[in-house]
Amino acid sequence: MNKDDTVKLISAEGFEFVIDKKAAMVSQTIRNMLTSPGSFSETQLGQVTFPEISTTILEKICQYFYWSMQYASGKETEFHIEPELTLELMMAANYLHT
Amino acid sequence: MSILPREKTKIRLRGVNMEIDSHLLRLCIESACRSAEAVERWRMQRRTLERLPSPLADALLRRLLQRRLLSPSLLEVFKSCVEDVDLRGEISVDAEWMAYLGGFRYLRCLNVADCHRITSSALWAISGMANLKEVNLSRCVKVTDAGIRHLLSISTLEKLRVSETGLTADGIALLSSLSNLSVLDLGGLPVSDKALDSLQVLTKLQHLDLWGSDLSDNGVILLENFPRLSFLSLAWTKVTTLPNLFSLECLNMSNCTIKSIGGTGDKAPLAKLQIAGATLLNEAETFMHLEPSFLTFLDASHTRIPKFYFLSSMKSLECLDLSSSGIGDDSVELIAEIGANLRNLNLNNTRVTSSGVRILARHVPNLEILSLSHTSVDDIAIAYISVMPKLKAIDLSHTNVKGFIDYGDAEPDKFYSLTALQSLSLERLNLEQIHFQDDALCSLPDFPELRHLFLQSGHLTDLSLHHWSSLCRLKSLGFRDAVLTNHGLDSFKPPATLELLDLRGCWLLTEEAMLLFHRRHPQIELKHELINIAASDHPPCNFPSKSQFSRRTPLVNINLEKLCLSPTFGDQRLKYNREELLALRNSTLSLRLNNRDDAIFKMPMD
Repeated sequence: MNKDDTVKLISAEGFEFVIDKKAAMVSQTIRNMLTSPGSFSETQLGQVTFPEISTTILEKICQYFYWSMQYASGKETEFHIEPELTLELMMAANYLHT
Repeated sequence: MSILPREKTKIRLRGVNMEIDSHLLRLCIESACRSAEAVERWRMQRRTLERLPSPLADALLRRLLQRRLLSPSLLEVFKSCVEDVDLRGEISVDAEWMAYLGGFRYLRCLNVADCHRITSSALWAISGMANLKEVNLSRCVKVTDAGIRHLLSISTLEKLRVSETGLTADGIALLSSLSNLSVLDLGGLPVSDKALDSLQVLTKLQHLDLWGSDLSDNGVILLENFPRLSFLSLAWTKVTTLPNLFSLECLNMSNCTIKSIGGTGDKAPLAKLQIAGATLLNEAETFMHLEPSFLTFLDASHTRIPKFYFLSSMKSLECLDLSSSGIGDDSVELIAEIGANLRNLNLNNTRVTSSGVRILARHVPNLEILSLSHTSVDDIAIAYISVMPKLKAIDLSHTNVKGFIDYGDAEPDKFYSLTALQSLSLERLNLEQIHFQDDALCSLPDFPELRHLFLQSGHLTDLSLHHWSSLCRLKSLGFRDAVLTNHGLDSFKPPATLELLDLRGCWLLTEEAMLLFHRRHPQIELKHELINIAASDHPPCNFPSKSQFSRRTPLVNINLEKLCLSPTFGDQRLKYNREELLALRNSTLSLRLNNRDDAIFKMPMD
């Protein structure tokens, strides 16, 4: 995979998720970070650290990005969220504007 | 995880207010509120709940309430994150709920309107709350003067609504110590001249609702002492003469006997005036002291006015309601003079005829909404209506429109009048009680923008229902009193956008056919007499709570999907025998439905 097409998302515990840039762009916040002009380290390195998002939640977020792209292209499957993750995930979703 | 400071997130989500626009957020809230078991799996996450930004917590709380999952003890977990609580109409809300709400540290806005179990002593729990700015106790009939005393310690209070509570004039006078009030709704309360006298210290008041009060012409002079007053309602009072109120923008004097509005000197910049059902002693004098050029909204429906000359000076009017006012073709010219500003015109139930519409035709280029229901306009008027280019909504129900112009024997071909509407981009069209034949309707052009269409005629058949399949934006379709067959409904392909199909009075349809349709298109709300009545016909062998709820709610649109009944609820009777159904009566499911039933039952009374 071409490095320019991917982005690395790093959780609070230091876990790294390498996902398609296209998928990460589902989040308005990440999109802004990656595309804003100027020399944001995020733009240059293609990686974003989320010191406030745990690994479990970030993994779920990444799954959602891919699900969301599928959903947008008309494939209507259910996105399952375990009830115990809902609160943390809500906060992450709010922050990521997704 | 306090990702963003509280303030910042608030601003971001306040903009969208009630609606959460994020898809993932919605999915999370749905999952969290799926069932009581789901709630159990997150409610112990106290530290996370404490950090939840308030717009998210507010939304979660609202959804729990809608799903009937909220209880006083569950309220407790929200005490550090929720700012806005709306429990209006929830009859289970009582002193216990209030006790928990009293512990909400950041509570800014509390709406418990129509919560009839709230008493004066229940309000003790919220006394002294430090951040509370808005309280709505409307129609909590058990709240009396004693309850109001508990509120006096909330000095931050800016908006207070206590209409139709048990307050007396003495209790109202107490409110004078709430010096930050800008909105005060005292509707339906015995506000006397003396009580208003004690409220004069509330100089920050901008919005004052005094409908149905005991105020007289003597007391109303005191209103001059509220320098910021912009909204005032004196509907259903004995007030006849209003003094000059310089800041007033909205005035409601419906159902009053009006002598004059505004005194000598500078004129108030009144933008909105409601005098529905009022008696004008002398219409020239009534409007003499009004500055007509600011007025954008006038509701003079059900008002007997002999002459309408005052209209000609109101050049800024955008919305004019003269329904049931006695206006006829002779005064339509005065409306035409208003001209380009007019957006919404209601002439329902007046003496206006097609020749009146002709006078109007080319003078109102920006008219968007035109209502001519219950008038004697006929097909000739449609041609004139079609030259009003901006029209989006037309109401021609209960008129003499037939759908075609019959030139008699000279020209045997019918001229279908509705084709003239093709030039408009209509979004709403009401043609109820017009006795179209199928052919007149099928001549209707395709309205690509049409969202709401209402038809009611005993001559319509399957054929004209199928005609509407192609309207790709249609949200609601009324097809009442038609000769619609089961087969016709079965083969109807509704547009994907359709949300409501009103089939009341289609007497050939059977319950089975409609349930089949509902199963196939669960997103569409169906309205028909049988769907409501059938359930109560056989109470013993029915789903217990469903029978109650159908019997009691003829006025309310019952959206089966929204009520979270399973889409195949019709099958419940087949699935269970009578004993099992009786057992179900005690189950939690039926309890939940019963609560819901009560909430719905209340709504029509508002």
